[in-house]
Amino acid sequence: MGLVRYTTSRVLQAIPVLLGVVTITFVLANAIPGDPVQIMLGPSPSQTQIEAIRARYGLNEPLWVRYVNYVAALLTGDLGQSIYYDVPVTQKILERLPATLLLMLSSYTFAILTAIPLGVISAKRRNKLTDHVSRIVSLIGVSTPSFWIGLMMILIFAFHTNLLPSTNLVMPWADPAGIRGAETRLDVLVMAGQHLLLPMVSLGTLQMAAITRIERSEMLDVLTEEYVKLARAYGVAEQTILRKHAFRNAQLPVITIIGLQLSSAIGGAVLTEVVFEINGMGRLIVDSIARQDYPLIMGTTIVFAFVFVVGVIVTDLSYAYVDPRVSYGEAE
Amino acid sequence: MTDPLLSVENLQTYFFTEDGVVQAVDGISFDVMPGELVGLVGESGAGKSVASTSILRLVEDPGRIVGGRVEFKGETLFEIETDDEGTPVENEDATPVETDESLSQQEMRRRIRGREIAIIFQDPMESLNPVYTVGGQLREFIEINRDLGKSAAKTAAIDMLREVGIPEAPARYSDYPHQFSGGMRQRVLIAMALACEPSLIIADEPTTALDVTVEGQILDLVADLQEKYGTAFVWVTHDMGVVAEICDRVNVMYLGEMVEQADVDDLFYDTKHPYTEALLESIPRPDRTVEELNPIAGVMPEAIDPPRGCRFHTRCPDAREACTRIDPDCRVVEDGYSPHRAACIKYDAFGNVGYDASPPLDNETRSGVDVTLTGDGGHQGGDDDE
Repeated sequence: MGLVRYTTSRVLQAIPVLLGVVTITFVLANAIPGDPVQIMLGPSPSQTQIEAIRARYGLNEPLWVRYVNYVAALLTGDLGQSIYYDVPVTQKILERLPATLLLMLSSYTFAILTAIPLGVISAKRRNKLTDHVSRIVSLIGVSTPSFWIGLMMILIFAFHTNLLPSTNLVMPWADPAGIRGAETRLDVLVMAGQHLLLPMVSLGTLQMAAITRIERSEMLDVLTEEYVKLARAYGVAEQTILRKHAFRNAQLPVITIIGLQLSSAIGGAVLTEVVFEINGMGRLIVDSIARQDYPLIMGTTIVFAFVFVVGVIVTDLSYAYVDPRVSYGEAE
Repeated sequence: MTDPLLSVENLQTYFFTEDGVVQAVDGISFDVMPGELVGLVGESGAGKSVASTSILRLVEDPGRIVGGRVEFKGETLFEIETDDEGTPVENEDATPVETDESLSQQEMRRRIRGREIAIIFQDPMESLNPVYTVGGQLREFIEINRDLGKSAAKTAAIDMLREVGIPEAPARYSDYPHQFSGGMRQRVLIAMALACEPSLIIADEPTTALDVTVEGQILDLVADLQEKYGTAFVWVTHDMGVVAEICDRVNVMYLGEMVEQADVDDLFYDTKHPYTEALLESIPRPDRTVEELNPIAGVMPEAIDPPRGCRFHTRCPDAREACTRIDPDCRVVEDGYSPHRAACIKYDAFGNVGYDASPPLDNETRSGVDVTLTGDGGHQGGDDDE
């Protein structure tokens, strides 16, 4: 069966990609000017202190030896020791990753659930009022930075009207006992929802706008295809044509855009976390760069790269699911 | 004589583009008898396809049917309201008004499209939806148009795939369009049309995209199935060879107008209209070399600004000054088993409109402007004399 073989080959192709990411990250992290040891020890440390620290973190080895050691450790799931926090990088990341994944997942869900109907309606009611409104909204959406949207929403909903919280994200799986004002699991879920709303919209607006635009133009494109005309000539109802004959074909480029948006969602997550004071991966990577915490920089980058590669694989697989030609090796 | 199955009267479909109004179909009339295979012939751009989509009322923006009427099985599919002088009536938005007898779009969809009149498009590679199985698409159309349940429709679909000569039909049922060759896809589309059991199939250049050997097979197949099911066909084509092979009667179109209508034998052996003649002259034949071929001079003018008078006069070898002034309709020029019509004023049916008396057109310009100026005055006198 084509689909299984296709999946396997896509997963195998991801391995060299990840190795490439590891290599580039390693080289770049070591190319950053400045010395983390110096930052740790403060001004004018003694030579023996420096050497002890260097030996402890393996920094006295030549670059290629450190690279080989790093990759070897990586294969066992060991991302090294954070210089600043003095805990394993893996532990720090596992602590921060859930918040970021939650943020990205919810913003994606928001984007997809609003953008696809909006794009379809826009295409169906082309050049009518609905279409104009949705086009203007999406044009504003793609051209507005997410952090600005975040700040404006904090101003409006948190600062002036006090409708929604803007800081101290509550995780939906947190223990009710540890959350002030929450007694049951339901309370926690409601609070998490309220907390997520603003960051979700601020991060998701860009994706929503981009997806709406592509959805609209693809639907318009597909609606002029011969097979749509044929369906019309055979008495298929206009609703069915939209929902069945045109929709599925139009989703191929939409899926591509959704996949590509993942990189801007990761970048946006960094900014959104800073704006909403969410302790996620985004803030971790910013802080670790400021502290020249090499192992942590590399670890967070590699995890982001991993998330991205997984996203691309999912994109490709959905492609194959939607278009039978892909898994049969006849992609256009 | 029995009543026609389909009757198109004075159909006009225009496209309202930014550059102006394109008169894609400008007043054509023709009939299709039950079980008959009728050809609709002309060069690219003659308006054949627009005419066929107009019958199903599937003309897309900026196109609009602006005049005429189409009757099917005695029922009016649509009719544009006309005043006493026969000019189409328009409402405030300058949209032509349909008469009350016209079917609504919804009735067209439920009762006519697919169910009574099916269509086969030109390009089999584009006509099937790439993301659904061939069988699924076939079954959907059968379900809609024959009120069958899922499994009955599936059985009917497989039977019809077998009928159009697709080997291992039950297995091929679940294959996707990209797994079929061009010829096989066109067979699927023919199966689709026949499986809905319509009374009329409009085939819009269905073999143009295929190579010649496959084309031959498809033509044989259609001829066989047409005999078996008794379905009437409107066969849209630019290929006179195809016409000769399968059609009973032929309608020749030029620049949105009907120029000749005749039985297929009459058309080939007793050609009346200079355009048809030219069309036949330009067909490559084994007994003539390329040098001996006689392509029609010039290119077809744009339908956005058609020549005045007879639309063919700019390319017509027989054109005279009178042709630049008089736009002939399609009249009976010879009675036969079925009447032979032509739109050319050199025939007596048009009375004496001055063809014989007017001078031939200047071959260089073909515009006839000078001739018209001098000819106009002299001409009216000439008319009186004769």
